[in-house]
Amino acid sequence: MKKLRLLLVLLILLVAGILISLLEGPVETNFNDLWNLIINNDSTFRTIFIDLRLSRALLAFLVGASLSLSGAILQGYFQNPMAGPFVVGVSSGASFGAVLCIYLGLNLRIIGFSVQSIFAFASGFAIVSLVYLLSQRKGVFKVETLLLTGIAAGALASALTSFMIFLKADSFEQAVFWLLGSFALSDWNQITAVLPYFFLCFIIAQWLAKDMNLLVLGDDVAQSLGCPVSGVRKTFLAISTFLAASSVSVSGIIGFVGLIVPHWIRILIGPDHRHLFLFSSLTGGIFLLYSDLLARTLLHGELPIGIITAVVGAPFFIYLLSQRK
Amino acid sequence: MKSKRIHAVFLLFSINAVLLGNQQKTIKDDLGFPFVMTSPPQRIISLAPNITEILFDLDLGEKVVGVTRYCDFPEKALKKEKIGGLVDLNLEKIIALKPDLIIGFRGNPLRIIERLRGLHLPLFVLEMGTNLETVFIVIEKIGTITQNDKKADILVESLKKRYDKTQAAIRDVQHEPRVFLSIHGTGLWTCGKGSFLNDLVGKARGVNIAGKIPRKWLHYNREQLIHDNPEVIITLSKSQTEFSKVREWIKNEAHLKGIKAVESDRIYFLDENLATRPGPRLIDALEELARILHPQFFKEER
Repeated sequence: MKKLRLLLVLLILLVAGILISLLEGPVETNFNDLWNLIINNDSTFRTIFIDLRLSRALLAFLVGASLSLSGAILQGYFQNPMAGPFVVGVSSGASFGAVLCIYLGLNLRIIGFSVQSIFAFASGFAIVSLVYLLSQRKGVFKVETLLLTGIAAGALASALTSFMIFLKADSFEQAVFWLLGSFALSDWNQITAVLPYFFLCFIIAQWLAKDMNLLVLGDDVAQSLGCPVSGVRKTFLAISTFLAASSVSVSGIIGFVGLIVPHWIRILIGPDHRHLFLFSSLTGGIFLLYSDLLARTLLHGELPIGIITAVVGAPFFIYLLSQRK
Repeated sequence: MKSKRIHAVFLLFSINAVLLGNQQKTIKDDLGFPFVMTSPPQRIISLAPNITEILFDLDLGEKVVGVTRYCDFPEKALKKEKIGGLVDLNLEKIIALKPDLIIGFRGNPLRIIERLRGLHLPLFVLEMGTNLETVFIVIEKIGTITQNDKKADILVESLKKRYDKTQAAIRDVQHEPRVFLSIHGTGLWTCGKGSFLNDLVGKARGVNIAGKIPRKWLHYNREQLIHDNPEVIITLSKSQTEFSKVREWIKNEAHLKGIKAVESDRIYFLDENLATRPGPRLIDALEELARILHPQFFKEER
């Protein structure tokens, strides 16, 4: 019952958020203009409503959902509420790959994937594997080591990213985009680039959710209960990396979403991953949708969205640390 | 209103048809993307201050509907709708202004250029190049796309005349002084090989001490500055008051005391807006710079 109510609230927030996103912007528009577009097919504001504002709202939602789902998976995978795509270094790694691709001037598509997202995925995956290997000492897995290694690896990747941007020196704008994230230039192509992968990863995650519940009991127990542990683990690691990488390649690094949202949802509805994945995705999407709304309306001009999510997320992260024993 | 516009378009189209044999002309912009020329543009958006200045010089000020927040010259440009800065352009505002020509340059981020193109807006991107001559090319190009070639020719002609006059005046220069260009900002910002400012110094018969470094803008090393010992320091500033502050700072820096330019008090002001915008006023900057570096050749004018 509680879940149903939460779902209802989230859906209302989502619809309201999209509506506000459509109506708010530097060019003054009101409900009538929107009504005229939908009912009378009046094209005066079509580009502004559809190509700019709607695409932006949907992309913010999708990226938020992807990052949160990625975080929910990583938290289950590492059995730790501190995990998240930013903390374990996936985001920074993916951003490194994407910028490397730009630096090398590669702009191709291979079977529907842009080279940029392949690079983002590969380097994100490399970082997370490295972090995982380094945080295992003699078979014992230490959470502190994981977090610290993740932060160190992430910092290294960010430094290299900044270095490439510095060398290329096209503009400061690029540095801000890749390191703090933005949806200012969202378009429908980016949505078609993210949407299918999000759905695919979501379906796989949902399908394996029961196995994730078993993993929490420990690998040996899970194995004895009939869970193909190693395969499941590999799949989860791959899709969580993929989700973070595809988000980063369209919006730059946006921190904290993948960390605080799944954690908060776990507190709200409990640790069952069959529900956790759905609610995390939905809430993360709504969180970024509203964050982006703030990012583009708080000041004249645009704020990098990473500033907003960090301002909300960092205190929460500190709170989490203080709660740990 | 609408019928009038259609009428006007029809009229222009028929003129076009006579001139071009009923063909739309397609030219390429400096990024290599096609630009279709139809009737002369009536609603122009400029994405850089120098482009705005050129447009106003071509008497197209009335047709400019949007400029950046840095477009402050001529004064009339201040009254135009602002569409953001050079790198943080506001897409919504651009679309709402319904432009039939947007002129951008390579300093606008490529991601934004691509996004504008994705929205099928009539965009022409200019390369500002690395030398003074590019200004003439840029003016001619803007003349072409606004279908105002004659005015552009006249403007370029008059600028070239002034350019030649300056060159003639300093023809007999024996010694080209070493110059350090100080650009407003924290520390010793200056320009290297790839910038037209470097070219400007050369054309004014000076030697930019950072002129061999293959970067457009850079932070000059203090040690290097002392070692290179410039004879003249040119400070690009927005105003005289800002200049006096920088000048005081340079004169009071203990480690810069030994530099020739400081010793002989050859620290000069150059209007930042003239010198950093590759537009018609770059010639003003050149004349000014030549006077500063070689005052003896301009005596009779004073």
